Amino acid sequence: MTKYAMAVDLDRCQGCRACMEACKIENNTPQAVFWMYVYRTETGEYPDTKQSFLPRPCQHCNNPPCVKVCPVGARFRRDDGIVLTDAERCIGCRYCEVACPYGVNYYNWRTPDKAFADYGTDSQDADLVSLTGGLTPPYKNPDLDQLQGEEQRLTAGSAHMVGVMEKCTFCVQRVDKGLEPACVDVCPVRALHFGDIEDVNSPISVYVRNRSTFKLLNELGTDPSVIYVGGRPPEPETREIERPLTEVRW
Amino acid sequence: MVTTEAMPQRQPTRDTGLPQGVGRLTPTWILFFVAMIVITAFGFYAYLLQVNNGLVVTGLRGLGTMAGATWGLYVAYYVYFIGVSFAGITVAAMIRIFRIEKLEPVARIGELLTVVALILGALAILADLEHPWRAIVNLVKLGRPQSPFFGTFTMVVAGYLFASLVYLYVTSRKDAASLAGRPSRFQGLYRFLAAGYKDTSDQRKIDRRVTFWLAVAILPLLVIAHSTVGFVFGLQAGRPGWFGTLQAPGFVVLAGVSGIGNLIMLAAIVRVATHTKDRITIDAFAWLGKLLLGLLVTYLYFTAVEILTITYQPGATEQGLSEALLSGTYAWIFWGAILSLVGAALLLIWQALTREWSIGLIVATGVLVNIGAVAKRYLIVVPSQTHGQLLPYPVGSYAPNWVEWAVVFGLFALGAFMIGGFMKVFPIVPLEEAE
Repeated sequence: MTKYAMAVDLDRCQGCRACMEACKIENNTPQAVFWMYVYRTETGEYPDTKQSFLPRPCQHCNNPPCVKVCPVGARFRRDDGIVLTDAERCIGCRYCEVACPYGVNYYNWRTPDKAFADYGTDSQDADLVSLTGGLTPPYKNPDLDQLQGEEQRLTAGSAHMVGVMEKCTFCVQRVDKGLEPACVDVCPVRALHFGDIEDVNSPISVYVRNRSTFKLLNELGTDPSVIYVGGRPPEPETREIERPLTEVRW
Repeated sequence: MVTTEAMPQRQPTRDTGLPQGVGRLTPTWILFFVAMIVITAFGFYAYLLQVNNGLVVTGLRGLGTMAGATWGLYVAYYVYFIGVSFAGITVAAMIRIFRIEKLEPVARIGELLTVVALILGALAILADLEHPWRAIVNLVKLGRPQSPFFGTFTMVVAGYLFASLVYLYVTSRKDAASLAGRPSRFQGLYRFLAAGYKDTSDQRKIDRRVTFWLAVAILPLLVIAHSTVGFVFGLQAGRPGWFGTLQAPGFVVLAGVSGIGNLIMLAAIVRVATHTKDRITIDAFAWLGKLLLGLLVTYLYFTAVEILTITYQPGATEQGLSEALLSGTYAWIFWGAILSLVGAALLLIWQALTREWSIGLIVATGVLVNIGAVAKRYLIVVPSQTHGQLLPYPVGSYAPNWVEWAVVFGLFALGAFMIGGFMKVFPIVPLEEAE
């Protein structure tokens, strides 16, 4: 039985946020939506401060509070551990969002700007047409509109339909093809690892073995599938610094 | 000739037959209905704006990186409206179970208040959803009992509303039969509602038995239904300030406080509007005042326990939350709520001690506890989202904007319209035996 997990090596992460960018490109997420998010945090008092980075995808809990509270079963956990949202079922009550202690859910408050589907380019621009052949928009991941998994449900983010919830899918459209999630694929320092945690010989199982690990807010009984290697969990006095897009609230 | 013939025909429909101003529209009433329609229409306009553009037109935003509150005024008022529904059916059930005849004249006001408040609660939660039709269809088709929301849609809005409607109907049939016997513009309606009812002693015995057992069945449903709304918040371990066993009972008690408070206000309006000051007397108000005092003191006790718990030795996140509540962003709402609830309790205690009850003062407590209840509902919903993040997200902020207020006021106006409309079609105070 496959059970997917992600390992995040905090000793390796250097905060380049390439994973955030890769996620946005792969999943075409609208503005102010970060399925993958990297905190830059600071602890201690001047001059004894310490900075660190903490990538935060959806934790894909094995005991997910969001799945429990969903009134219509739109949020569900697959047998392989991936927690997904069925965009066709979701009624947009946002209960999953308030139930989730990690803040990974993003509600589609409005229809995304076209500029964010085609990266602000004019698709009819002559220079661009010579490259794209006039495809409009120049890039939109066609896999997102496909039904995923054995259940054949619309779970990969689709068109970021207004009024429904979305979040990190572990790039289900890639995983089902045998690929790694976009963030894992792109990480330049191999801080992110992905694979079958139940297979003792899989690279991720080997990677986390004999290393010091923790899971975020595991004390809440959520049992996340994201395993942090090295580093330290954020403490209550940990503060976030250099937030990207502080003012972007739509 | 024409006028003299027409006069005796129009006279009965206009002035005789129907008590309490039923079927008679004075200019004040017309103005009232028009005003309510205008406010409701404006609320509906704001709602359409939201449906067409997405919830981005409200002050709501995502949690976490968006640093907002994803549940706001709509959820606070949904919780409030469901709470208000507590009053009517409780009072009606208490009359049957404990035979409190002094409350009889306000029973139907209460039952109507319950029905209207439940409808408004359901509409408030639908206003919070971008796809209301999808929500209705999916909740019926795919509803999951494991979700605390399930109780809201089944037990509260369906079971409880249905039971209340049945109750309202069963207790109104006698009056409908009595009104069906005389000519009036609504005679057909009354005949339909009476459905062959005959006011005999056997029938009254059946009525008493039916309403008694219905009351016995509704009271536990009431506690369970209101608890499920508390569970919406109380079961969430990942949200500081929500997780706790006190949420469900606290919810039931505050529901009672706001519900009885509303009933007091509405009864005071009704006795003036329908000229029934001799029917709805100080006795009924004193009874409601005592009931309110009992519930209010219980709720203040819960609040004291809560304040001690969040300040004595709180965890780090809880501490940030309690500081925001007690001395930070939300302090004015929190202490305003405490002030109005304590003030109402003191007013009631003073009246109870002197044994001199005054309708004006009891109505004042009704207003005060409702201000307090709305504020407390808001504080249950919002601060845990803006100040209750467990990961190092920035402190969030939320302020309801005009769209949300317009929808909420529209709901209130719709409720007032429904109650006013009922008063113009059916006597809202049960008819006296002699009639």
